[in-house]
Amino acid sequence: MTTTTTAPVELDATLGGSVPPWRAYLPVLLAALPLALLPLLFGDSRTYMGLATGLLVAAGYAAGFNVIFGMTGQLFLSIGALGGVGGYACAILADRIGLPVVAAILAGTLLASALGALFSWVSVRRSLDVIFTGIVTLTFSLGFENLLLGQRELTGGEDGMRVEAGQDLFIGELVPGYYAILVALIGFLVLFRFLERSHYGWAFRALKDDETTAELAGVDVARYRIHAGAIGSAMVGLTGALYALNEGRVTPTAFEFAGVDVSSLVILAFGGLGTLLAPVIGATFFALLEEFVLRDLGTLRIAVYGLILTALFLFFRDGITGLVGRLRGRNDHLGPNRPV
Amino acid sequence: MGAVLLDGIVGGLQLGLLAMGLSLLYGLGGILNLAHGAVAVTAAIVASLVVDGVGYPIGVAAVIGVGAAALLTLAMDRTVMQAVYKQEGEHRVLLSLLLSLGVAFLVDGLLEWRYPSGALSIRIGGGPVDVFGIGMRRGSLYAAAIALVALGGMIFFLRRTTLGRAVRSIIEDEQGARLVGIDPARVRTLIFVVSGALAGLVAMTNSMSAPVDVRSGFAFTINALIVTVVGGLGSASGALLAGLLLGIVNVLSAFYIGAYVTSIILLTAAAVTILVKPSGLLGRSR
Amino acid sequence: MLDVRGLSVGYAGNDVVHGASFEVRTGEAVAIIGSNGAGKTTLLRSVCGLLAPTEGAVTFDGGEVTGTTTAELARAGMAYVPAERHLFPGMTVVENLTLGAYPGRPEQQQLDFVYELFPRLKERTAQTAGTMSGGEQQMLAVGRALMGQPRLLMLDEPTTGLAPKLAADAYRALKVLKEQGMTILVAEQQVPLALDLADRGYVLEDGRMELSGTSEELAGNDEVRRAYLGIA
Repeated sequence: MTTTTTAPVELDATLGGSVPPWRAYLPVLLAALPLALLPLLFGDSRTYMGLATGLLVAAGYAAGFNVIFGMTGQLFLSIGALGGVGGYACAILADRIGLPVVAAILAGTLLASALGALFSWVSVRRSLDVIFTGIVTLTFSLGFENLLLGQRELTGGEDGMRVEAGQDLFIGELVPGYYAILVALIGFLVLFRFLERSHYGWAFRALKDDETTAELAGVDVARYRIHAGAIGSAMVGLTGALYALNEGRVTPTAFEFAGVDVSSLVILAFGGLGTLLAPVIGATFFALLEEFVLRDLGTLRIAVYGLILTALFLFFRDGITGLVGRLRGRNDHLGPNRPV
Repeated sequence: MGAVLLDGIVGGLQLGLLAMGLSLLYGLGGILNLAHGAVAVTAAIVASLVVDGVGYPIGVAAVIGVGAAALLTLAMDRTVMQAVYKQEGEHRVLLSLLLSLGVAFLVDGLLEWRYPSGALSIRIGGGPVDVFGIGMRRGSLYAAAIALVALGGMIFFLRRTTLGRAVRSIIEDEQGARLVGIDPARVRTLIFVVSGALAGLVAMTNSMSAPVDVRSGFAFTINALIVTVVGGLGSASGALLAGLLLGIVNVLSAFYIGAYVTSIILLTAAAVTILVKPSGLLGRSR
Repeated sequence: MLDVRGLSVGYAGNDVVHGASFEVRTGEAVAIIGSNGAGKTTLLRSVCGLLAPTEGAVTFDGGEVTGTTTAELARAGMAYVPAERHLFPGMTVVENLTLGAYPGRPEQQQLDFVYELFPRLKERTAQTAGTMSGGEQQMLAVGRALMGQPRLLMLDEPTTGLAPKLAADAYRALKVLKEQGMTILVAEQQVPLALDLADRGYVLEDGRMELSGTSEELAGNDEVRRAYLGIA
């Protein structure tokens, strides 16, 4: 007897079936609106637009991580590296090989996606515990960083390389580039909600809850994990590619573990791991924090990040969304929100 | 070649010592401590402050540094780790990883901010010493000797003392340990503190070859993690063996090939170990 | 020596044992019999601190010990040998036994006593526990518990996974211990063996203490005979 991996919609008792689409996707619109209006206020300021773009990029990475870790509990400590794969691949293909920009973006995205799928596949094949997946992906992160530093001819080493490709296109400009990345981010959030409401979401919730039971219920855990790894990594890779084109430069520091991975963790922890708007809420909070609190503190920033990370996981593992939900007396979020 | 090899062994001994604490912690408590490197750096900075600021001789400063490391880990155990121990299994490992990462950033950040040029360098005077016909720097010799004594002490402790046997028994079967009257929580705290002291000690011995500065924390942690994984999480002897192996590989590769490739080789060793035999060289397959 | 009153225990909010009461006096052997799932293991685990009871009290040696940890109870003289044994698989027989004496140092006298009781262990002092057969592991588990010179020895289904001859051997050893004055509490499915050893017994059914009495009384009881001894 074949096992079914698609839950018939009429039997799906989860919120995916009972909430009408417009209500389900409304939060995305609500989040997108202020972000879309932002350039109207700050469009002339290079600093503020830079900050805002940074916010979107951080949210983009976190959105991918939210699919991988938030939805299926796979600890990829290589988000930065995957972003770097997207960014550097796009840059190298567009500049050195001369691929059209769109093709280069696509290639970078697919490459990152393939790597993510590989990580998931390996984890599943070898039945790796969460911590081992983490360590393996961490070694990839560090190895990738060393690769970037070591292969000076190809990557520009420590100084990185200029990205010429997008500079005369809209993506390379301040405000249009911002909108391009915003469109991508909105796409990520819509996709996230779509997954939640589909058989994917059902399967993800099942396998995150209890893997053995899920298998017995007919969920092909391996397949769903790999798909989640691929989709999430695609998001991360695309973000990296867009960042590269917009920024006009790629450096190893832009994609380092201490930067991207830690910030993604903190963003999701703050916003509520596994919930739809966590990337946006968390990234906004951190952008504001960066600008108004941490800017003048110099290296103390690192200590403050550490403090926030520790405090978040000690006391507020459900993040802000969870806290609000508890205060409102009910859980408003549609995804599983297990304390990590 | 001989000198390079010897350097590798000296480095390897220290790697083994550094990893041993981390490995035991995982075996005992199912936790991963990513603040290991930050603790080592704390010891180094404290020692350098004592020497520069108070003017104590280096030996005293080193002891104080190691003590500071032990105190820091004790504080960490009594506060942050208590939340971790309330969790079980996978949740516990994950939480320990995330919380210790936070602590690592906190400690590293504070040290970098307050002592941006802080570094420890222990210079051992005197010319090179002849060991098996190879000229060895006095600093390396001292480092190796201290590491050997510490390693010997740990092995003696684990194999021959009641408390050490208790440690091993918890790693073997925590429930069984409780049944014979062993309190895992208190033993865990002890090993946590010991691992911190060892990290501090390795910072001291490392500084005999090259300065240990305020930014070295992450590198310490990653190295310890790689050695721990390759040796087998939970196996002290595995940590030692892997330390020696990787220490030699590290030096040989750096000498003949290059720094970046060496890093990649070591990282790949860890990844391959996890993929082929997650229990490591001497760990037990569960 | 051991007094349990109105103990209710369960998992995740559902009680498996309801208001169980029993006592074990110094020097006697008491059996708790019941079929699979009756709650014997849950009951014992609660007594020795591995599970927190939802209700009730446990008194050991005159002092209230409800909620005390297993390790503390072990040090206070309550030794528990679970069905899974929980030996230290990578350590040798002698290392396992030595640890039984924790926190004290193992006395040669005690070691000799255990070896006399279980000669098979003496033949295998350097063998790692994980490589031993079921019967040998059971012996080692009991031996390890004895090394701490306990006042109360609690065993949960000591015959688990043992062939009839080995099961009988195990009970023979327990009898020797009893004759030497050890207080024993054993939870057992194999009723004839248990009643043969014990002075008194309790019948646990669906988490409730249904019957109690001397072992002769229980052995002669019609319901017991029907349910557990297979005699119509």
